[in-house]
Amino acid sequence: MTRYAMVMDTRRCIACHSCTVACRTFNDLPLDMIYNPVLTDGPVGVYPNLHMNHMPLLCMHCDTPPCVHVCPTGASKQEDDGIVWVKAETCIGCKTCIQACPYNARHIDHALGVVAKCDFCKDRVRAGKEPHCVKTCHQRARIFGDLDDPASDVSRLVNSLNTIQLLEELETDPQVFYILGTGGQG
Amino acid sequence: MLDDIDLSDPGIVVKKSCCYFCHQNCGVLAYVKDGDVLAIEGDPEHPTNQGGLCCRGNIALKHLNHPARINKPLRRVGERGSNQWEEIPWEQAIDEIAERLSRIKEEFGAEALATAGGTLRTDDWARRRFMNLFGSPNGFHNALLCWIPTFMVETAISGWSPFETDLGNSRVLVLWGQNPGASGMPGMRGITDLKKLGLKVICIDPRYTETAAHADLWLPLRPGSDSALALAWLNVIIHEGLYDAAFVENWCVGFTELAEHVAQYTPEWAAPLTWLDPELIRESARMYATTKPGNIQWGTSVDQIGKAAGATMHARALLRAITGNLDCPGGDLMTGPSLDFVTDEEMEANEWLSEEQKAKQIGSDRYKLTTWPGYGRIAEIAKATWGKAPTAEWMCEAHAPSVFRAILTSDPYPVKALIVSATNPVNSYGNSLEVLEALKAVDFLVTCEYWMTSSALMSDYVLPIAGALERPIIHNTYGCSDSLIASQRAIQPKFERRTDFTFWHDLGHRLGQTEMWPWENEEEAYYYMLYPLGYDISSYDDFVERYRFHFPPMEYYKYGEAGFATASRRIELYSSVLEELGYPPLPTYVGPPENEIDDPEVAEKFPLVLTTGGGFMPYHHSEQFQIKELRFLKAEPYMEINPKTAESLGIAEGDWVWIETLRGRIRQKAGLTNGIHERVVFTQRGWWYPERSALGSDPFGVLESNANVLTSTSDEHCDPIGGSWANRGLLCRVYKDTEGGTR
Repeated sequence: MTRYAMVMDTRRCIACHSCTVACRTFNDLPLDMIYNPVLTDGPVGVYPNLHMNHMPLLCMHCDTPPCVHVCPTGASKQEDDGIVWVKAETCIGCKTCIQACPYNARHIDHALGVVAKCDFCKDRVRAGKEPHCVKTCHQRARIFGDLDDPASDVSRLVNSLNTIQLLEELETDPQVFYILGTGGQG
Repeated sequence: MLDDIDLSDPGIVVKKSCCYFCHQNCGVLAYVKDGDVLAIEGDPEHPTNQGGLCCRGNIALKHLNHPARINKPLRRVGERGSNQWEEIPWEQAIDEIAERLSRIKEEFGAEALATAGGTLRTDDWARRRFMNLFGSPNGFHNALLCWIPTFMVETAISGWSPFETDLGNSRVLVLWGQNPGASGMPGMRGITDLKKLGLKVICIDPRYTETAAHADLWLPLRPGSDSALALAWLNVIIHEGLYDAAFVENWCVGFTELAEHVAQYTPEWAAPLTWLDPELIRESARMYATTKPGNIQWGTSVDQIGKAAGATMHARALLRAITGNLDCPGGDLMTGPSLDFVTDEEMEANEWLSEEQKAKQIGSDRYKLTTWPGYGRIAEIAKATWGKAPTAEWMCEAHAPSVFRAILTSDPYPVKALIVSATNPVNSYGNSLEVLEALKAVDFLVTCEYWMTSSALMSDYVLPIAGALERPIIHNTYGCSDSLIASQRAIQPKFERRTDFTFWHDLGHRLGQTEMWPWENEEEAYYYMLYPLGYDISSYDDFVERYRFHFPPMEYYKYGEAGFATASRRIELYSSVLEELGYPPLPTYVGPPENEIDDPEVAEKFPLVLTTGGGFMPYHHSEQFQIKELRFLKAEPYMEINPKTAESLGIAEGDWVWIETLRGRIRQKAGLTNGIHERVVFTQRGWWYPERSALGSDPFGVLESNANVLTSTSDEHCDPIGGSWANRGLLCRVYKDTEGGTR
């Protein structure tokens, strides 16, 4: 089986926001819609002893996705390869999934009246390419691949490093894994 | 969009283009059909970016097809600055411009024409060629703020600036006022990868930047005090015996004088000047000198500290020499000019400019190293070594602030015409208020541009210029590297846009230079330049498609037999070139342009220290402010201030504040950060508001938040050696904007 996942090496991220711009530009998103923001914490500390962390975000493509479970029409879907997406044709724009998502990963498309979200660039990745946010990243802070393939970078990193999942306590089992640490350790 | 393209469509051609939105010039693949670009992506095979693209690279098509682009030649019909134009054919525009330039030359001499350039995206050898044949020595860029003085000082001392890196073999990297984490993503990736393998990184920067956050040592020095730090490093390295005695003995002259001279510059001496702990100065000097081989990478900051710039570059150049880090594996490598292809200098036709006209170059009486007196001497030595010289365009130019003042004062003589290409001088040159006055005052102004800017607005003619996807380009470090990377034209220029090469070529034809322009377009000229390399190519495009770059094998210790390209064939720690030009032959301490020690009365009114000019994402210089797909990331200007300082001034996060120097004041929003000293503030560069009106006293809001309103270009603040003006280390004050108004 294929299980798509992403690893965020926050030690490498420099918050250049290239991923944010690439996603919006290449997916032709409305200007007020951001699937993958990058948050910055810091500089933290007392000058001149400081550290700074950046947190790239996107849909967590949870293994137990609450957004899919609450959808009244079945428009919110989870594929066998783990990709969570919205079929616009059957979405009624009720926004229930937006409320259910603990990661702020779902957005209303005001022009179309439907919910839109990151789909891991599913057509690209199924064609063997990387998602736009991964391809554009000079820093290689975003790593994408098949978690079920032991030879993949994501499998190697998730299994050999102490990664975390965001809001792990909610038991949504995100398939985005974060390597924490301060800049320059990666 | 990229994902919608059927790549099996036989009508689609993939062109190897590149991005112009910074100097990394990442490779871009352009998918072209029927003369238009359908999509772009980062070129995975390009050696620089390996497929990645930053924010700016991703919006190439937004730039190409932006509705605000200028697409036809414009001739002013209303009052200057009234934004009233008529569209005219190119041929008519060129005819009229040529006719006007002829009359100016006849009446005031060829030197009455000056040209202002911008950042690398143009064929500046073509501009130089035109100017040389026209007879004017008064071309300039923002060169003096960006590497050029560094190149010239290092070349004076070592024979060629050692700018080539070999980082894979380096064990320590000094980033001296460089922040690739915000200004050069591919460079940052390389550093991040090598850090993982053990590379030590020393970051010298007043700000806790994206890059400083990745460093082993961060030295947050007082802005502009770099001279004191470099001298103290020399002191530590020499007096603790950490230098490379064999290299100094065999390959350097003047060590005894240097050792005596820097005995006074102890870390304790430097501490109150740099605001650094003497132990941190020692630790960092030791780390650099003993973790060999080491590399000191260039960043713009020292080029922008004004009067202390040359002395600092000099001291920094000596650090590499005495540690033996020159031209060795993992050190700072010296390519020399390419002996294998035709260099930019050989395309410039410098021999056609008479000695009489060279002597008229504005600023050459004061800023001698980066004008004909110093460049001429360096070119002479280089030619004796290689038969080739550094590029004259960039390395040998009129002093920009002095040209703007000459327009206003006719001192030393009248400058009546200015051609502006690829720059908005009001944003990008120092002391914006004076620049704007000069643009309004000059008799004849022509601007080659993508957009209507505050500078273009003052022009008599505005010509529509082709962008990155519409032209080919060769990148080879301002014509001074022995390698090159070539990119091709994805499509012919859209609408009535043309390239700057075509502009100079056509203007040359009108002004009697026809036989000197044997190439009809860039591809023909580039083919001529590459031909001697001996590749089996039939055209320039053929080279790009099959080879794309030329990197000769890396050679170390090239000085081995003949020595270095200096008069003594040694590294001149005691510099004969600087001495001949009347400058101190050994690096001597020069303080920041304005500082609390030398200017106590200024410091009383302006108690904070300003640094500005540093790059920040997603903009490059004053570009991309009209591209909404980027502007959303930084919609408004932000300055950086320490929270304690802000509190004492009653300033909260997000408040609009005024930042004021002796030159003027600007408004930016307060960004509170621990990553800056309590007495230092940083302002973002480049700001203007393309969405605002062109009319009124502040067109497009170009004076409201533009950091160059604050910077200083006065002679007393400029570096006497290289002419750099001062963006960093100036005194300022900050206060809340309670009026909520504009300037």
